[in-house]
Amino acid sequence: MARIIIPFPFRKHTENRREVDIEGASLSQVIEGLVHRYPGLKTINDQPALLSVFINGRQVQGKTGEWDSVPLRSDDEVSLIIPIAGG
Amino acid sequence: MSELKDAARIDLPATLWQEILGHCRRKLAGDFLPGETPIRRAYGILAGTLADNTMEVRLVLPVKKNARSVEPFRTYMDTVMAEHAVESTTPMEQRGWITDPEELMACFRRCDDEGLVIFGSYHMHIVAWDGDPTRDTPTRLDTVLARGSNLVSFIISMVDERHPSMRAFFEGRPDREIPINITG
Repeated sequence: MARIIIPFPFRKHTENRREVDIEGASLSQVIEGLVHRYPGLKTINDQPALLSVFINGRQVQGKTGEWDSVPLRSDDEVSLIIPIAGG
Repeated sequence: MSELKDAARIDLPATLWQEILGHCRRKLAGDFLPGETPIRRAYGILAGTLADNTMEVRLVLPVKKNARSVEPFRTYMDTVMAEHAVESTTPMEQRGWITDPEELMACFRRCDDEGLVIFGSYHMHIVAWDGDPTRDTPTRLDTVLARGSNLVSFIISMVDERHPSMRAFFEGRPDREIPINITG
């Protein structure tokens, strides 16, 4: 069961939880499970190109469509980041 | 628990306001730090505590890097800007900024470690526009980029460096201004 760190702006969708444990053998399964448990988080899939994922502090390279092939161990910590931008 | 969307006021200690201004002035002067993207733009993160619908700023985190020219952010920003940015003398590819994910993650982690709420981001406007001499409100582009963010956009007017000002808008919406009270 991987531990997902929810960034502050998304916590309104997770009952203000900072960390959520989700079952899954791959990164895509865990993200899917997260959105299933907290449907408000589907916004993270609205702009997949902007979503950055870190596993144990290391950024995952590759596109979201390739996350099926990113395995997760039960003690992995996954952080999600959507950058902040301005004009 | 209070939520940012319900905040009615922002308390900003004068020392932190000076810290923000120092960041803006340093960037305007072209005095860049090692590892900092060398552009005359200043932006960063503000964090603090939130209680009784009052946000108290406790931490200023200037952001050093701009991922504007890095894929996939370049394509995203080019697309959004082509649709929403107003005409300007500044070339499109030099306009807009976007945080580096790794740097932003470090900011978020620090705020979590210190038990602070991330309020949002600040950035400065430096050029007056026709009909908008102070530029202390979000542009249409700022509003689009902050949509759904659940964060506050702090806009700093540095059009006249001698008379800077800052205003705050939930999700960059001009109709959702939150008054700032400089304290101390």
